Amino acid sequence: MSNVFPKWTNRLPLLVLVGGVLLGGGVVTGVSYYFTPKYTRVGYQPVQPVSFSHKIHANELGLDCRFCHNMVEQSAFSNIPAASTCMKCHSTVLADDARLKPVRDSFYGEDANHDGILQPKEDKNKNNQNDRPLLPWVQIHKTPDYVYFDHSVHVTRGISCVKCHGRVDLMDEVRHAKPLSMGFCLECHRNAHENVRPLDKVTDLGWEGDRDAHGNLYHFVDPKNGTSLTDRLGVKASENCSACHR
Amino acid sequence: MKTETDNSVKYWRSMEAMQGREVPSSWPGEFPEGASERDEDFTRRDFMKLMGASFGLAGLGLLGVGCRRPEELIIPFGQQPENYIHGVPQYYASARPTRTGAVPIVVEANEGRPTKIEGNQEHPDSNGGTDLHTQASILDLYDPDRARGNRGKGNKTLNREAALKALDKLIKPGKIAILLGQNNSPSRARILTQLSGKAQVFTFEPIDDDIHRRGATAAFGKAVRPYYQLDKAATILSLDCDFIGGECDAHRHIRDFAKRRRKLDDNKMSRLYVAEARMTQTGANADHRLRVKAGAVHGIAAAIASRLGVGGLSEGTLPENVKKEWLDQCANDLRRGGVVMAGHGQPEAVHVLAHAINEKIGAIGESVLFHAAADDGLGSIADLAKASFDTLVIIGGNPAYNAPGDLKWADLIKGKSVVRLGYYDDESAKGADLFLAQTHFLEEWGDARTSDGTLVAIQPLIKPLFDGLSELEVLARIAGVSQTANEIVQATTGKSGNDWKHFLHKGFAVGTKAKPAVVGSVNTATAKSAPSVEENELEVIFARDYSVDDGSFANNGWCQELPDPITKITWDNAVLVSRVTAKDQGWTNGDRVLVEVGDHSVAGPVWIQPGQADGTLVLALGYGRETKGRIANFDGKQVGFNAHPLRPSGVPGFVVGTVKNAAGDPHNFACTQDHWSMEGRAIVREANFEGEDGYKKHKDFASHVGLDSKDHAKHTINPKTGKPYQIYKHPYDAKPELKNAEVQWGMAIDMNTCVGCSACVIACQSENNIPIVGKDQVERGREMSWLRIDRYYTGFGHHPSEGDTDDDKDQHTEAWIDDPQVVNQPMLCQHCESAPCESVCPVNATVHDDEGLNLMVYNRCIGTRYCSNNCAWKVRRFNFFDYNKRPLNALYKGPLASNKENDPTGWDLIKLIKNPEVTVRMRGVMEKCTYCVQRIEEAKIDRKREASREYKDAVARGEKDVTVSTKVAKGGVKTACQQACPAEAIVFGNMADPESEVSEAKKSERDYTVLGFLDTRPHTTYQARVRNPNLKVPGPVDHYYDKPLSSMEYEANAHGDEHHEENGHDKAHKEKD
Repeated sequence: MSNVFPKWTNRLPLLVLVGGVLLGGGVVTGVSYYFTPKYTRVGYQPVQPVSFSHKIHANELGLDCRFCHNMVEQSAFSNIPAASTCMKCHSTVLADDARLKPVRDSFYGEDANHDGILQPKEDKNKNNQNDRPLLPWVQIHKTPDYVYFDHSVHVTRGISCVKCHGRVDLMDEVRHAKPLSMGFCLECHRNAHENVRPLDKVTDLGWEGDRDAHGNLYHFVDPKNGTSLTDRLGVKASENCSACHR
Repeated sequence: MKTETDNSVKYWRSMEAMQGREVPSSWPGEFPEGASERDEDFTRRDFMKLMGASFGLAGLGLLGVGCRRPEELIIPFGQQPENYIHGVPQYYASARPTRTGAVPIVVEANEGRPTKIEGNQEHPDSNGGTDLHTQASILDLYDPDRARGNRGKGNKTLNREAALKALDKLIKPGKIAILLGQNNSPSRARILTQLSGKAQVFTFEPIDDDIHRRGATAAFGKAVRPYYQLDKAATILSLDCDFIGGECDAHRHIRDFAKRRRKLDDNKMSRLYVAEARMTQTGANADHRLRVKAGAVHGIAAAIASRLGVGGLSEGTLPENVKKEWLDQCANDLRRGGVVMAGHGQPEAVHVLAHAINEKIGAIGESVLFHAAADDGLGSIADLAKASFDTLVIIGGNPAYNAPGDLKWADLIKGKSVVRLGYYDDESAKGADLFLAQTHFLEEWGDARTSDGTLVAIQPLIKPLFDGLSELEVLARIAGVSQTANEIVQATTGKSGNDWKHFLHKGFAVGTKAKPAVVGSVNTATAKSAPSVEENELEVIFARDYSVDDGSFANNGWCQELPDPITKITWDNAVLVSRVTAKDQGWTNGDRVLVEVGDHSVAGPVWIQPGQADGTLVLALGYGRETKGRIANFDGKQVGFNAHPLRPSGVPGFVVGTVKNAAGDPHNFACTQDHWSMEGRAIVREANFEGEDGYKKHKDFASHVGLDSKDHAKHTINPKTGKPYQIYKHPYDAKPELKNAEVQWGMAIDMNTCVGCSACVIACQSENNIPIVGKDQVERGREMSWLRIDRYYTGFGHHPSEGDTDDDKDQHTEAWIDDPQVVNQPMLCQHCESAPCESVCPVNATVHDDEGLNLMVYNRCIGTRYCSNNCAWKVRRFNFFDYNKRPLNALYKGPLASNKENDPTGWDLIKLIKNPEVTVRMRGVMEKCTYCVQRIEEAKIDRKREASREYKDAVARGEKDVTVSTKVAKGGVKTACQQACPAEAIVFGNMADPESEVSEAKKSERDYTVLGFLDTRPHTTYQARVRNPNLKVPGPVDHYYDKPLSSMEYEANAHGDEHHEENGHDKAHKEKD
């Protein structure tokens, strides 16, 4: 009886095993790296309908975040400003700039002569309504639907915008700077005292903390008696599931 | 959630539209950021599908990120409306009109879509409680089956203007008749006066709430309507009056009733006598219940009236089971102050007698007031049948479905042109020359008066979704009034400027409460006789259904799936009979019978109902609809049968009929609780108010029953440690730091005031995005309600230990069910500290938080259902299917199946009702009561924001060492069930704060834990019920109610069969008890 299988097949089980382990390991490594929020999200920088520069507005012009995101202290959502907010300034500043056309269109709609009144001849589809084109900004930061993140309770309690959004004031076009994964949230919740900053520094994205005589950062209101801002404000960052999942 | 749809279906409009600004038609939901997804073809769910597929393909190469991150858009306003903050709900005061009044409400709107209805606590005659129909009515707004647009000749779709023009054309020539439902809107009444000469107006309601006005008017010879104040009545006699359930204004009655029942410690607890045929919710809460035919109630009323000195009445023969002693004692109690109420199913004579008694016992001006209520002068439906007209305008109601059979509706409209204004494309819309889609009360302007006379506003929260018209608009058009509905209402109120705004803001006009009318003495001339039913005749009783009313809620899934508070049947009505009647006829549950009254007959299945009068057949109205509605006609099959045609016009709620067996297989009922007895277990604990074993002498009676009682300490306490034997180790014992010492959420439910009205069940469903599952799933025990109401019967001679059978089927044949006492118990997650569910979850999907909440983490759950198996209270619910993702008839479709083929008409409209603060659960996860964690979190966040503001202000003032507390204030969190409860039986709050309401409630000596012997330390506890029988009144079988029947069962059953039978054990306890 001849040998049906060549000799090397004796090593086949080992090869299969080793190969399997390598392949499995590769898949696991790949998935655990590439499927994480860090890889999938950080760096996400979609093209927006208007090339709005946070760098110019927030940094060079020095507008506060809350000038445009004005409801962030009252609502779970940080609102994207309406076109009317932009037009507060841009009705006079760069009033005819081509880049701002979508904003103007969204603000004036069919009111072609911009007098605030919809003339019958302006009403293109004769419905007596001022139809306005949309200004579809592309969403960058998003938590999953089962996560109930509340902006107001963070920004009013000394958590800066920069903690989750990075140095938006240095970005021309906003990109996703932090992973916003559950681990990212918990890291901060477990060390709230290191992340809470004086309430007037919340929108100061460049603020780096006060330093003591040795140059170390400290997070205390009063270094003499050691009461921290977290104690004063009663901050107890919850690590319970109920904090975010309902 | 989708916000942009094709242009033919407009789901909602923006806030701008609500504020009367212009709104672009190309963008029907000009909608703020966050909830928006413009891309029709690529939704988040599609993304999840792809995501799943890409996981499967992971080994083939790691895909690029492009397809895994869908582009989502944020679309802000062009011009920001004032006072609108995206993500913060807005609240508007309004009212839900009912037949004879209104329920004042506050409606929550999220991003412009109404999502939840609560009672208006500021209204002078409201405590913020509501009823189940008010809670459920919001679902109608998003009913996918509601009429989607106006329809002219040849099924042409008409917009509002075109529809009104078509209406003008139809009503111009010839004689017009208008048929309306009942309501008491002052604006409608004003428009109707302008219709005189232009049209004849008739009114019809299958549920005759107007009898209260007619009865009082006949009694006093003056146009008045009774207004009961049950908190002022020491004794209440209900003459077939289901004031807790089936009568108008039930939520108000429950509130007042509870107020007085609660007064245990000032010795003012009221006593309730009930004489009725069908087991009603009022009967279920009675201290003494007399089971008689509805036709015998007049005799009982006369007997009691003559005992109290109303002259000129002959008693006649009373049914055998009516004992003289019962009547005497009832009269005695009434003499000491109380009130008598007659039900809407009773003839006028009984109403007059009730008022005669009220006059004699001095109730008038005390527990019953009379408010002026003029006859609206509209003809009845019987008058319509005799009238001559060319065009009939049917507004609201549904006469083709629910008109009395002898009127022959089809013949009546033959050859006439018909205009129909209806919420659904229903029976009455068939063959209409013009169909107008009616608006929901949340889409229209209107007004009404609540029963106390206060004027309330009905204001729209949303533009009509489908170009509908309101009743007021159509009537105004016919009357030639050119004002808009808004202007009509404003003109009626005579308010303008800030007055008008204030009126809308509050939802009611301050100080418009009616002044009680002065009434003279009662004329009993019309009360001498009434239709009666002989002992040997079969009585057919027509009942307003607890869940679907007269059929107007038949297509409301929450109502259909709500277990009837008494029968616990869902998705059905039945021919309810007593055990004796069933035995005489040889019936068992589900047998089909044919009920005949005169020329009309209807077939339906039998259900044996404990406590029902022998020789009666009770038919609940509102089922057997012939519409395309996918709830009323679930899965293409009619739900229940239609009893309306059986009822001749002009009779009270009962007639003499006959019955015979009908062919057909036995019917399957989807009943959520088919075992009736507690089998002597101490689940619901009760005591009498008075007597040897009564509450007055033993205030701590609740702690002496059950395995966890003090008397059982020798079995349950470990003598070595002095602590209870534990099944589970308490997590807090091992690690006390896990427990937040400042906040521990807890709930207390007072069984003494809970009447089982089920408003909480629907409120929970509305708040927590709980889906319905359909009849076949309920039959499999898969209903999803987080909060259910358990209803138990206890009876004389029911001794479970004495050779009794545990078989559910046999309970129907036993004599103890003839005159049972009924108890209700709301049952929801108990939030055990040492929760059995948590210890068995393999993936930590159910865990505890430090504030005492037993959490359910949906995205961890893998659906093992171990937790549900290990829960002793059976309050966990499992999503066997994607109930939220698919129409009910497509549940069994695979995960990739398209919804479109099963859903040609936009089933997903219903998604707009979802509460954005609560996760919508998917297939395969467990869920349960969360103590409304979203409301807790909201309150905490509100408080934290406030604390920061206080801190900043204090620092700005220059204060030193400022610290602020973030503790939520007392009463800061109200759960949905608590808020809806008209009886205020549910109290929620912080148990760790000894001064909170819930701590106060739990301090009661009546406080006990259900299944406390398991020592899981639930945070939900109950306060035992106290009955208040007159100990001299005999029970039905020569017993006296010296103890509640459940206590007798408990003792007879050797303290429940959950435990052992040791030597001398029973004896020792009998002596103690």
